[in-house]
Amino acid sequence: MTPIGGRRRLGGGLAGLVALVLVAGCSAASAERGDPPRPAAAATTASGTAAARSFHSTRGYRATPVPVRIEIPRIKVASPLDRLGRAADRTVEVPVRWERAGWYDEGTRPGDPGSAVILGHVDSREDGPAVFFRLRELRRGDEIVVTRADGSKARFAVDRTEQFPKSRFPTDAVYYPTLTPALRLVTCGGSFDATAGHYRSNVIVFATLRA
Amino acid sequence: MRPRTAPVALAVVLLAALAACDSKAPEPSAASAPSTTQAAGEHAGHQGGATAPAASPAKPKELAAALEQYFAVHTLLAVRQARSVLTANGAYREAADHELEEYTEELSELVGGAYGDAQGTRFKEVWERTTADASSYAQALAAGDDAAKAKARQALLADAGAYGTWLAGASDGRVGAGDGAAQLKTHVQQLMDHDDAFAAKDYDRAYRVEREAYEHMFAAGTELARAGVAPKAAASLDTPVEKLRTAFAMLLGEHMQLIIDAQRATFAGAPEFNAAAAQVNANTDALTKGMGAIVGPKKAEEFQAAWAEHVEGLLDYSTAVAGHDDAERAVAREKMRGYGARLALYLSDIVRNELPLEPITKALGEHDQHLVDQVDAYAAKRFDEAQESEVEGYGQMLGVANTLVGALQRTVKPQLPVGGSQTGGGSTATWRR
Repeated sequence: MTPIGGRRRLGGGLAGLVALVLVAGCSAASAERGDPPRPAAAATTASGTAAARSFHSTRGYRATPVPVRIEIPRIKVASPLDRLGRAADRTVEVPVRWERAGWYDEGTRPGDPGSAVILGHVDSREDGPAVFFRLRELRRGDEIVVTRADGSKARFAVDRTEQFPKSRFPTDAVYYPTLTPALRLVTCGGSFDATAGHYRSNVIVFATLRA
Repeated sequence: MRPRTAPVALAVVLLAALAACDSKAPEPSAASAPSTTQAAGEHAGHQGGATAPAASPAKPKELAAALEQYFAVHTLLAVRQARSVLTANGAYREAADHELEEYTEELSELVGGAYGDAQGTRFKEVWERTTADASSYAQALAAGDDAAKAKARQALLADAGAYGTWLAGASDGRVGAGDGAAQLKTHVQQLMDHDDAFAAKDYDRAYRVEREAYEHMFAAGTELARAGVAPKAAASLDTPVEKLRTAFAMLLGEHMQLIIDAQRATFAGAPEFNAAAAQVNANTDALTKGMGAIVGPKKAEEFQAAWAEHVEGLLDYSTAVAGHDDAERAVAREKMRGYGARLALYLSDIVRNELPLEPITKALGEHDQHLVDQVDAYAAKRFDEAQESEVEGYGQMLGVANTLVGALQRTVKPQLPVGGSQTGGGSTATWRR
């Protein structure tokens, strides 16, 4: 590697020479290298520096509005979204109402880079089928539409639907940060543990942003 | 020809940084991404010397990291060579030609390491031809020779087909010839689109296509690494951690390269500068959203503010250089140090001290220095040196990216939710099936 310090020492004199050449609009140094003359060099540089002086880096980052509704035409889901936090045992809270889905609000907002996570119950003892009862029917290409608080929509396409035992829940695949805008829908499935009153598995839909 | 040090150093730096990224413990050496140069030296020692050829990485993710960078940088070199042709800048073209030649050599060695020497040789033939045909396209465009341009286009499309055939054979059919050809067809089409737009002075489009081409070939590097290993081994490229590393390396490397574009465009006039600067801002937006995915919206906003100072500091310096204003230059350089310190403080905070402040500050200082050296050399028309600073700086930036992701991983992982969700209690879903 070329020592950086040495390179900088070499640079001073040549830079001065180039400055003179550019200001004079003359390309003597360039001609020595075989470059064609560029008579507008000084004006061009002046124009470039003027533009550079007025440059402002992008600021004013605005967070994407929170999601308020989910629709999945294929399985006729249309639900407002509640906000879910984290339970004391570090699991994500689950929706308190069977007929409504919930968005994990410590995670990604739908449409942003990362995996937004939405949970919904598959059923309840009292009322039978719940909001995500038919989630397992989703197949590659099916559309999921999430509406945000400002009315904008994020449209996702299903990549795959899989079932995992809760004891081997794929935490990284669901919650680990990614720069790809994605969506994960989670509900219960598999065999039912009557003693515990819970299903033994989770059904997870993996989807990515389409528009 | 200049000694082929920079590409080798890039490969070695990448491997060293990845090794550091893999480490579980928050050891000081992992924290010192700045010290990618130092780390590279240490790694070279393990390999038997700094003059070792571009490595033959044993692990798919190491191979992927190297191929991503080689493909991406090769693309930028091809774009910049085309610009030198279209602006009749002979001296710059000479430097770009040399760098492309060296990159092709190193890339072919890397491919040979993964696919075997014979396949490396065949790859080199295809790649050299593609590079030459891309150059012919730019020359035909500069000369206004439509017949030569059409001939070069046909040759480039044929090169895409040859690449597909090569990849299908080299990968034992894991990638179909059609898929491989489509991948390179997109690449050569982007190169031609860039050239057409640049020649027509449609700089907004030219710089936008350049960025797309960089991103396309970065991803193509991952795919080439994937094709070279059995599906089980390739699965290591699909882990969330590895995907995050790739995404951040791509964006941070892109930041470095887009700043260089903007620095150089300062000498070319307002339309070109504005087009290059727009892509710098697009990259900043993407990085900010990426940070938001990890640290949330509030911290993402703070990141953007700190990053904006960093970007403006770099471009203030190059503006002073282009304007031959030594006083302004000194002021800009001093401000850059303050901006770097603030950004380092922010990064150290978000990784909850998984990376100590001092090495981060040093890493950002080195990043700034590479860009300072780059624009100093470019202004003085020492294009070989400008290219070297670019390559060294790019490698160092990737080291920063890998180390940062390593620290983020250690920070984020313990904070993730655990376990499955109790989202059902009626047993109806079971008996319904």
